Amino acid sequence: MALTKEEVTAKLLARIPKAAAAAVPVRDYPTVRLAAASDLLPAARLLKDEMGFTYLEMVTAVDWLGPTSLAGFVSSRNPNPFTDQPALPPLAPAAVAGANYRPVFDLLWAFGNIPERLKVFLRLEVPRQDAEVPSLTGLYPAADWQEREAFDLLGVRFTGHPNLAKILTPDFLVGHPLRKDYEHQPDLYDGK
Amino acid sequence: MASEELTVSGPGLEMDTMFINMGPQHPSTHGVLRLGLTISGEVINKAVPDIGYLHRGTEKLMETRSYQQCVVLTDRWDYCSAMPNNLVFCLAAEKLMAVQAPPRAQALRVVMCELNRIASHLIFLGTYGIDIGALTPFLYAFREREMILDLYEMLCGARLTYNYIRIGGVAADLGEDWVAKCREFLEYFKPRIDEYDTLLSFNPIFLARTQGVGVIPRESAVAWGLSGPNLRGSGVDYDARKSEPYCGYEAYDFDVPLGQTGSCWDRYFCRVQEMRQSVRIVEAALAKLAPGEVMAKGVPKIIKPPAGEAYAHVEASRGDLGIYLAADGGAAPYRLHVRAPSFLNLAILQEMLVGRKVADVIAVMGSLDIVLGEAVR
Repeated sequence: MALTKEEVTAKLLARIPKAAAAAVPVRDYPTVRLAAASDLLPAARLLKDEMGFTYLEMVTAVDWLGPTSLAGFVSSRNPNPFTDQPALPPLAPAAVAGANYRPVFDLLWAFGNIPERLKVFLRLEVPRQDAEVPSLTGLYPAADWQEREAFDLLGVRFTGHPNLAKILTPDFLVGHPLRKDYEHQPDLYDGK
Repeated sequence: MASEELTVSGPGLEMDTMFINMGPQHPSTHGVLRLGLTISGEVINKAVPDIGYLHRGTEKLMETRSYQQCVVLTDRWDYCSAMPNNLVFCLAAEKLMAVQAPPRAQALRVVMCELNRIASHLIFLGTYGIDIGALTPFLYAFREREMILDLYEMLCGARLTYNYIRIGGVAADLGEDWVAKCREFLEYFKPRIDEYDTLLSFNPIFLARTQGVGVIPRESAVAWGLSGPNLRGSGVDYDARKSEPYCGYEAYDFDVPLGQTGSCWDRYFCRVQEMRQSVRIVEAALAKLAPGEVMAKGVPKIIKPPAGEAYAHVEASRGDLGIYLAADGGAAPYRLHVRAPSFLNLAILQEMLVGRKVADVIAVMGSLDIVLGEAVR
């Protein structure tokens, strides 16, 4: 029985309380917004067990605080040898009028159904402070490293993850670099 | 010959385990990867892949760069096959901007990505032979790869980091005799694949080292999110070129080679067969290459896509490469996430190495064909 995009969305909306079609969808893909972190596991189980979405394609998160702070880039040290200017990022991001900045992490999961050639995105907003969501490692082993990456770079905690440790950044790096307000702390490579 | 799978447990056995560090500087890790192996005799009890040595933070860097400058950074993910990296970023940006590349540019993108797939699989073939102990195929594979790099050099002046595929099309049209040179290469290359089969694919020593070794069952290949030849080697028919065609792939006639058992040899042989299919695609694309524009009309100098979110994915040489792009309407991407196939292909090592012999680690790791530049971005 062939599934369609619309059926997947309809089933998710019917079975998960307060789930809604996302106001900002991932273009061309069905995108469903969950109302609470507790809905994630039931939604993932529904997708995996009843609709054949056995492939966890992607786990990621967006920090919607505002434009990237340049304090996250080392600019005072490590000068450019060809000019007396320090190395600066080429473009300073500025706030865009009308953009929906808010202090949340918008988490995003992409699930794939390989035989039906379908993809569906789930999203969930959690407050930036002490962000916590359930881990999907029990259902999808593919979530293991992707959740560790989101933890390392953004500081989202995935409860129930068996080994939520840093994965990409060095052990001495303080903070979570993909947060918009990340500030670089001088370390041994800054001549400290 | 299948290798035995043993699980060792029981009281007192912990005393006999040994911890060995494989890497970060190890000739077969193809980059900077450390494997922390706990072994008990010859059998691996625990494997902990440690990555991040090559993390350059491109996702963060892109937040302070214009869209065109980001294309340059994409080259640095999978430096063995940079064209699909360029392509996937441009596809995501084009989705946001609602721009479509003209037909000639799309055909050129297909040609370049498929040539890059051949070049990348040749690196795999050569280095995997070396990993297993066959030194000769490397020289043959790199001889052919060199010709592809020469074609790229004629095309855009670069041999590894091309920055050729741009938002809205490609950087430049082909030179005068490029198509003839490319056809010449394809004619030269086709019989070479049979040569690899006699040299390596069906070499009894190579078969003994790889067939039945490092088997990944279908279910765990899907569950761990493998993609590319690693997933297809386990018999799962998933190829972005077929499931969600981009750049007009639906118009080309090609097969998706699948493996039978999911062993190291199946993954290897999928790649060899993919090279034949790539040759077919390049030939078809060159045959129907019509003159025309190579850049879409109306792509502004300063790109500011409207606020929104897009996900694009392509079948890169190593698997399903995806880009999630969130734009707030500014001149730089607000947030960019790379779904890197090598990153996910690596994660399965922690499960699949357990219970195997330490001598098979290299055969298993090599067969996954990872590039650390892409795994840690």
